[in-house]
Amino acid sequence: MPPFPSQAEVEETLKRIQSQNGVQGIIIVNTEGIPIKTTLDNASTVQYAGLIHQLVMKARSTVRDIDPQNDLTFLRVRSKKNEIMIAPDKDAFSNKTSFLLY
Amino acid sequence: MPVNFPDVQGKRDTVKEQVTEDMLKEVIDLYISETDSISLLDIPSTFVSVDADDAEPIMERNNQYAEACRSRMDNDKYVDQSVQTLNGATKNKQVQSDSIVMVDKATTVTSWDVYDSLISPDTGNNASGWVLSPVMSLLACIILLCFSSASAASSLKEVEALGNSLNAESDLQLIMLSEKFQHCLLVMERSILGNIFQPQLAAYRQLPVIEDPESPVKPGMGEQREEDAESPRSPAVVRLWAFSCELSRGSSVSSMAWNKKNPDLLAVGYGEFGSSNQKPGLVCCWSLKNPTWPERVIRCDSAVTSLDFSSNNPSQLAVGMQDGSIAIYNVKSRDNKACFISSSGCPNRHLDPVWQLRWTQQELSLTGEEKVESLFSVAADGRISKWFVSNNGLDCIDLMKLKKSHNTKKKAGGTTTGKKTESVLSALTPGLCFDFHPTDASVYLVGTWEGLIHKCSCSNSQQFLETFKKHFCPVNHVTWSPLSPDVFLSCSADWTIQLWKQDHHKPVLGFTSTQRTVCDIKWSPKWATVFGAVNEGQLEIWDLNSSILDPVIVQPAAAGVKMNSLLFAPQTDCVLVGDSDGQVTVYQSIDSPNLLFSNLTNFF
Repeated sequence: MPPFPSQAEVEETLKRIQSQNGVQGIIIVNTEGIPIKTTLDNASTVQYAGLIHQLVMKARSTVRDIDPQNDLTFLRVRSKKNEIMIAPDKDAFSNKTSFLLY
Repeated sequence: MPVNFPDVQGKRDTVKEQVTEDMLKEVIDLYISETDSISLLDIPSTFVSVDADDAEPIMERNNQYAEACRSRMDNDKYVDQSVQTLNGATKNKQVQSDSIVMVDKATTVTSWDVYDSLISPDTGNNASGWVLSPVMSLLACIILLCFSSASAASSLKEVEALGNSLNAESDLQLIMLSEKFQHCLLVMERSILGNIFQPQLAAYRQLPVIEDPESPVKPGMGEQREEDAESPRSPAVVRLWAFSCELSRGSSVSSMAWNKKNPDLLAVGYGEFGSSNQKPGLVCCWSLKNPTWPERVIRCDSAVTSLDFSSNNPSQLAVGMQDGSIAIYNVKSRDNKACFISSSGCPNRHLDPVWQLRWTQQELSLTGEEKVESLFSVAADGRISKWFVSNNGLDCIDLMKLKKSHNTKKKAGGTTTGKKTESVLSALTPGLCFDFHPTDASVYLVGTWEGLIHKCSCSNSQQFLETFKKHFCPVNHVTWSPLSPDVFLSCSADWTIQLWKQDHHKPVLGFTSTQRTVCDIKWSPKWATVFGAVNEGQLEIWDLNSSILDPVIVQPAAAGVKMNSLLFAPQTDCVLVGDSDGQVTVYQSIDSPNLLFSNLTNFF
């Protein structure tokens, strides 16, 4: 695991992701499902955060029930109009969950 | 008579301890141990064995007692007497206790929950061994106590209401700086780019391209497909994508190398040549999974002229620069200054641009087990050196000095004084390129400024084994064929490419296509008769099996841009071309049925 780069690099990576073709927005969410950083409007953010949090919990629970040593690494929900990509954190239910819309 | 009522004494003022949240959550250890035996009742037996010592008097007494009982009735010695006991006055006393609070608690047990609790001893849960995390429902006080220790185990799951606005800011900071978040970002970025570049990456990896059935058809792609369908199926290269970013724009690509262990990792060296001032150079390590931003960016002190990855330690990248210094970087670490070793301290270092670097494995003759890898370099000061790591940096020994051949000394062009000082200063001619024999690592070829190619051996540092004369301009690149023994190619600024066989002094074949200096030339790793060449204006793929006069595929460079380096991608039929604008473009060669036939030995 490389040593963590500075916050500037993180901001830069976020900016790069945001500027990719087709990315509508990015939401970063903490443990309880409260969005702490977002590039979308408030209403959508809150809606997405609430709904997606439950989905992630369910997905993670499913994966781990089958094999407790396994864990969820990435979740993609593809729909007719767009795709939601969710990258949850490794620690179970702890600090960070981030996801974005594509 | 004063009777002691100990329980009616004045109530002692016990200081009630404030029970705080933390205390409730504290894990309390309860120790259960055995006390000494307490005898509550001890009635010794009155049975005596007949064989005991004092049996005789006991039997005597027993007999006497039996005698007395028999004669009791009509004996004057015994009189009946009655006795009365005193009954104390009874009193009612009432006691009331605190009501027992009962709480219903439930949780869903999942197999991973049990697994987590069992294997995570370091989450602050010090409950000795046994875990009560999945507790169904509580009924009594005692279980409540145990639950408080078990709740420490499940507190990871408890949603702590810390979500007020003050903490959100610090949360953000914490999250941004954590490693896991960066990893999430990395995965996210790659997934998005995987979506965007899916057709190109699939083509690169020779996978079928999956059409997204629901996505709106992009007009650009549609046209391209139409074009492909209409054009005749002649061999061509299709541009897949280009590695470029703002950092590298404007600098010229000088060299590229694949990582030996991870075939998706590409190191590209950039530098601005042509200007007299030394501008700092750049090395970017690109991953195929992210064509828009390099994984690692290493800034070097001067323009980068050559690079190579090591095979023994796949994360070591040796970089040669225009000022003659060589540095070995470790690309695993993100730190920009993770320069492993540099040769700037070495007294023997090159003082002129290092035109080529190579890590080569030479068998350790003593044990024969481990292949020792050493770094070799050829530089413009005419020396070929072998580098090794000494305690304060790199140190080198010279393998060969490229002496000027007699022909050039006879050249009387220019002022004689100028020529004399030149020959006094150095009798060495700059070496521009070298290549080690694919099977015999002690033999190598060197191309020089004078246009000569020398074959040398590592064991002989005084003389060349052979010299190949044909070019009359600097030899830019020389390369052994990986698939056919004893055949090598050389390209030069005299617009020609020559194909040689090892024991022939004259080239077997020569190729020219345009009147430009040929910058780079490489054999295809898969097909023995195919090689690629790059001159400033176009990319050419030659296939000796089909034509020795013209290249099979010609791809012109984009306007205003000069192509100057070339690399074949292993395992796939793609070519990477670096140009003077800092872009590394990936072309895939398609529809080349001739390329399927490959056997150079048939050709000869």
